[in-house]
Amino acid sequence: MVEILIIIGVVVLVGLFVAMAYNRLVAGKNQVENGWSQIDVQLKRRHDLIPNLVEVAKDYMDYEQETLQQVIAARQGAVTASKSGDRAGQIQAEGMLGAALGKFFALAEDYPDLKANENVASLMEELSGTENKIAFSRQFYNDSVLAQNTRVESFPSNIIANMFRFARHPYFEVPEEEKAPVKVDLR
Amino acid sequence: MASDAEIPTPPAAGLRRTDFFAAIRANRRRTTLLCLGLILLGGLLGYVIGLAFEVFTANDPDVALQNGLRVQSTGGLLAGGFMIVFGTLWTLVALFLGDKIVLGLAGAKEVTADEEQRLHNVVEEMAIAAGLPKPRVYVIETPALNAFATGLKPEKAAIGVTRGLLQTLDRDELQGVIGHEMGHIANDDIVYMTAVGVIVGMVVLIADIGLRSMRFMSFGGRSRSSSSSSKGGGAAAIVMLVILLVFLVLAPIAAKLLQMAISREREYLADATGVKFTRNPLGLIGALRKIEGSDIRFEGAPKAIQHLFIANPFKKFGEKAGAMFATHPAVSQRIERLQNLG
Repeated sequence: MVEILIIIGVVVLVGLFVAMAYNRLVAGKNQVENGWSQIDVQLKRRHDLIPNLVEVAKDYMDYEQETLQQVIAARQGAVTASKSGDRAGQIQAEGMLGAALGKFFALAEDYPDLKANENVASLMEELSGTENKIAFSRQFYNDSVLAQNTRVESFPSNIIANMFRFARHPYFEVPEEEKAPVKVDLR
Repeated sequence: MASDAEIPTPPAAGLRRTDFFAAIRANRRRTTLLCLGLILLGGLLGYVIGLAFEVFTANDPDVALQNGLRVQSTGGLLAGGFMIVFGTLWTLVALFLGDKIVLGLAGAKEVTADEEQRLHNVVEEMAIAAGLPKPRVYVIETPALNAFATGLKPEKAAIGVTRGLLQTLDRDELQGVIGHEMGHIANDDIVYMTAVGVIVGMVVLIADIGLRSMRFMSFGGRSRSSSSSSKGGGAAAIVMLVILLVFLVLAPIAAKLLQMAISREREYLADATGVKFTRNPLGLIGALRKIEGSDIRFEGAPKAIQHLFIANPFKKFGEKAGAMFATHPAVSQRIERLQNLG
């Protein structure tokens, strides 16, 4: 009689543990997804701001057509990647867009006329603000990924993770060229 | 299942917990337990007072005391029950109305993104870093340097800064302060400190009433027990008196000390959480230095909510004097801890 009770007790405890570990994994995964959609919002905002900027810049920056083309191409690549659902690919494409934009901002310094244009000034300010927000949302996403990956890999939650097929997530890495001023002082 | 991405070095060693929703849930659990404990303390205080009332007015004080110690004193149970109900109601009222009262008291005005673009951008960035909804933004028109956060849930949160703060701090320092306030919201400190404040206030109030009544009662009680003169009557009354005195004097002090210690610990925690958001301890360090160094007094800062501000708006607390009763830790201590985080 006692043995049966002990066995039942153990089964209940194990069941509780599995349930708790599973719930934590679910919550962690949802936080990663939430983090990703936050980045997505900012990335899309960046996509939307670029065409206007390039249109106006074309008139001022005659000799920089190559850079402008790179920006347009990178933006197109990023938009395509975002529709494909391949997250790792999207991260890479956005990294390239960031690098191209960095080059554009650096070059824009040599064209005071361009920066004096009101539309351009306001667009560039919006872009700078968006860069800050991308940086912070990327930070939150990476934090969430770190926490979830740790859960998926550590013992004993890795057993539950394997059972229910919880995956590791990719980090949102910053390619070297983009590491130039990420946080911009707006005033 | 495996990804090929290399694992980058984890963010600042020692800042591991990033799951704020789980942390908030855990904090709520702790808050509930703490509040239950404090309500029970209040109930116990009420019980002791009710019992004392009985003992002092009983025909047979000895028996009354014995009953009391066996938790059978009707007077005690009534008073204790009353305290528990009263305490719970007061807490609920404070929690639900607290928001509006606080914002009104501090003289804060809500500002739109057009009016204060940089402030709104900074608040939005911190909300993104915390993974929480963006709080409402308020400004208090005073040259003093201070900031506060309020709101029961992240969805209903609000952050306020003074005009002086906006004018004196640079963007990184402002972000450090907003990060700290966002930390309070993320750690659910507002609910916690409000509940603690209400219950401690109640304990202090009842103890005060108890002490006053005692002075009034001791004359009547003594003459009554000497006239009914059972042998142990005098002794029981004295024992009860001693127990009562100890509770009435010690309970409020203990409650206050506890509240202050909790408040200081939450401030350190909010500092650390803020840095977790900004990844830049220098911003908050610079801001704390400027706030500490400012002599401008915060006119009309309401005493009731001083603990909700980033720095105590009333006095400059040195490291020694009054440290146990300080709502905020000394700035030098806070800066030292922040430098260790960097």
